[in-house]
Amino acid sequence: MKPHWTIAYKESAQMLRSQRGLLWLLAFSGLLSAFSLLLVSNAELSLLDNAQVVYMMSGTVLAAGALLAAILGSDAYAGEKERGTLVPLLCAPIDAGALPAGKALGMLTAWGVMFAVATPYLWAVGASGQNLGAALFYLALFGTPVVLGFGYLAMAVSARTGSVLASLLSTIALLMLAASPLLIGPGLRGTVIGRALDAVNPFAGALNTFDSVIIDSEPLSAQFARLLLVVAWLVLCLLAARRRAANPNFQ
Amino acid sequence: MISLENLHLTIEGKEILKGIDLHLQPGDIYGLLGPNGAGKSTTIFALLGLRAHASGRISVLGRDPGEHAAAIRGSVGVMPENAGFYEWMTAPVYLRWYGRLYGETQTQRDLDVLLEKVGLGAEVHRLIETYSRGMKQRLAVARALTPHPSLLILDEPTNGLDPKGRREIHDLLLEFVAERNTGVLLCTHLLDDVDRLCNRIGIIDRGRTRREGRLGDLLAEQEAGKRYRLRLETEPDTANPPAGISLLAREGDWWCVHIQFEIPGGPSALWGELWRRGWRILEIRSEVSGLEDLYLTITAPGHSRVKEAAI
Amino acid sequence: MKKWKDILFVMATIFLLAAVSAAAEAPLMLDLHPDHANPSAPVMGDHLRFWSTIINTGADPIEGLVAWISLVEIDPGNEQPVDLEDWSAHKAVTGATLEPGQSLRTGWPMRLIKGGDYRVVVSVTDRGSHTVFTSPTIQFHVRQKPVLQSGRVLPVAAGVPLLIIGLMVFNKTRQHRKKAQL
Repeated sequence: MKPHWTIAYKESAQMLRSQRGLLWLLAFSGLLSAFSLLLVSNAELSLLDNAQVVYMMSGTVLAAGALLAAILGSDAYAGEKERGTLVPLLCAPIDAGALPAGKALGMLTAWGVMFAVATPYLWAVGASGQNLGAALFYLALFGTPVVLGFGYLAMAVSARTGSVLASLLSTIALLMLAASPLLIGPGLRGTVIGRALDAVNPFAGALNTFDSVIIDSEPLSAQFARLLLVVAWLVLCLLAARRRAANPNFQ
Repeated sequence: MISLENLHLTIEGKEILKGIDLHLQPGDIYGLLGPNGAGKSTTIFALLGLRAHASGRISVLGRDPGEHAAAIRGSVGVMPENAGFYEWMTAPVYLRWYGRLYGETQTQRDLDVLLEKVGLGAEVHRLIETYSRGMKQRLAVARALTPHPSLLILDEPTNGLDPKGRREIHDLLLEFVAERNTGVLLCTHLLDDVDRLCNRIGIIDRGRTRREGRLGDLLAEQEAGKRYRLRLETEPDTANPPAGISLLAREGDWWCVHIQFEIPGGPSALWGELWRRGWRILEIRSEVSGLEDLYLTITAPGHSRVKEAAI
Repeated sequence: MKKWKDILFVMATIFLLAAVSAAAEAPLMLDLHPDHANPSAPVMGDHLRFWSTIINTGADPIEGLVAWISLVEIDPGNEQPVDLEDWSAHKAVTGATLEPGQSLRTGWPMRLIKGGDYRVVVSVTDRGSHTVFTSPTIQFHVRQKPVLQSGRVLPVAAGVPLLIIGLMVFNKTRQHRKKAQL
C-alpha cells in the first residue's frame, strides 16, 4: 500500500472509529436536524421558499465541511507535532508530498461522510420541491474543491507555524472573511466592489452557484466561470501545502 | 555506516552545527553525548535528511541524505526523543500501520514476538492511551525495530524505565547488533548506559565534536594523567607551575590540578617539590577518572566527583 | 308624454354617437388568451403560457410601444399584486413599432411559484399616448402542493443522530469487551 493511502486509512479510521470523530458527526447531524425540525411545522411554504430551504441547507453543509477541513488541516502537521507523532512520520521513508496527500484523502473521506449524512436531510426538505438532484450534484461538484482548498490552506499554515491554535485561528478567520459577503445585502453585493469580491471568493462562488441552480434553475453552462474559480482556489492551496510540506516545522 | 566530517548546519540563519565528526561502523554501538542544546537531535535529523547541511561531508549507509533521504530512512529504525503515538490504537494495530509506511507486512505472530521482546506482550489489547510512560518507551523501541533496520538511531531509549526495564532494553540492543552486524547510534545522558553498551562515543558541545573515538582509548587517554584537588593555605604562584602539572580550576581554597605523567614511587615527591615552591598544601584529594569525568571535563571543565584519599 | 319620449330618444342617440365616436378613436386592439397546452388544473411548480395579440387599428403608426404582463393575487384577505421576479423571466416587450393594421403576437411564459387564485392581464402604452390599454383578464387557480412533508423530515431528523449515537455506543462496547477479555 502506498504511503499516502496508509496515512489516508489512518485518518479515515480516526474519523469514523474514534469517539471524537463520531461526536463531530453527531454535532453536524444535530445541526441539520434542528434546521429541519424548525421548518417542519410550516407546510405552507411556497415553491420558492422550499428552494430557499434547500439552498440554505446546502450552504450550511458547505460551511460545516470547510470548518472541518480547517480543523483537520490545522492538525495535519501542528497537531501531529504537538502530540509527538510528526517526527516518527517524517522518519519513515515517505516522500514529502505523501503526508499532505494522505491527509487530503482523509479529509475527502470526512467530507464524503458529511455529504452522506446530509443527503437524507436534503431529500427530506427538498424532495417535493425543485432541483433537489441538482442541489446534490452541485454541492458535490463545487463543495469538494472549496472544502479541500480550505483543508490544504490550513495544512500549509500548520506546517509553517507548528501551532494548531495559530493555524486554526488563521484559517477560520479566512473562512469567515470568505463567508462575510453573505452578510452584506444584495444591494451592496451588486456594486462593483461587491461583484469584484464575489469574483475571487470561492465560498461565495459556490453559494452563488447553489442560488443560480437551485432557485433560478440555471444550467451548468452558466456556472463555468465559478467552477474555474473554485478549481483555481483548490490548485493554489494545494501548491501552498506541498511547498510547506517540503520543509515543515517539526522541532 | 555513518560518516560525518566537519558537518555545518544552519537553521533560520543561526549556525547550529559548527563542525560535527562522527564515524560509526557495522557492529558499533556509538554513544553520542552532549549537554542539552549541543546539537544531538539536529545531528540525527541531518543524518535522516530532515535538515539540509550547509557544508561538510555526510554519508549514511553509503548515501548522501540530501539526495537519498527516503532510501536511507527505509533502512534506518528511529526512536526520537519524546515521540508519541496514536493513542486510540492498540500497540499491534499501531505497529502494523507504521510498518506499512516502510512497505512491511507483518503477521500477528511477528508483532507478538516483537512486543514480547520489548516487554509489552501482556498489553497487546490495551489502547496506547492507557500505557504508562515506561510502556510507551518500550513501544517506541518496538517501533524503531519494526522495519528490520540496518541501522538503529535511538534518542534517550531508556528514559522513564526502571532498572529492570533498562537492562532489558540494553540486552535487546546488544542482541540486535550481535545478530545482524548492524550499527546503533545512541543519544543518551545516562552514562551507565554508555558504559555498558557503547564501544565508541562522540562528545559534542555547542555544535562541535569535542572528542570522538573508541571508548577505551578515550578513557585511557583521560587516565594517562591524574587529577587531584589541593587545599592551599595561600595562593600559589600560578604563573610558573612545575612542569607536567596543569591548573584546571579553583573553587575557593581548593585548586584542581592535572598531573600528566606517571610519578615513580607515587606523587609524594611532587608534593614535596610543590612545597618547596611555596605551595602551602593543607589537604590533598585524588579524583575518580572515568566516563563521567571525561564527559564533564570536556563539556564543563572543573566539575568532577571526588574520592577521598589519605595523604 | 310624447314630448318626453322624443327628448329621451334624442339623448340616447347623442350618447350612442359619442360612444361610437370614442370607439372609432382607440388606436389598438388588445387580446389575451391562455395557451392550449396549459394544464387545466395547474399545481405549484407547473408552467403556464399566455398569448397576447396587439393590433394597430389606427391610421398612424404606433411607436415606442411598451407591453407588460401583470399578476394579481385575489385570494380573499390576501389580495395583492405579485412580484413576477421568480415567476417569469419575460415580463415586458419594449420599443416595438406597429404600422397601421400590423399586429404583434407575444408569448408570456410563467412558472407557478405559489398556490392561490390569480388574475393575469397585459397592459400596453406607447410613446405618443397618455393612455394605458389593458387586455381582458384571465383568472386561474393554482393548487397548493405540500412541499415540506413532516412524514419525511421527522424520521430523518431523529433517525440520523440516533444512528450515529448507536455507532458510538457500539464502539465503546467493543472496547469494553476487549478489555474484559484480558
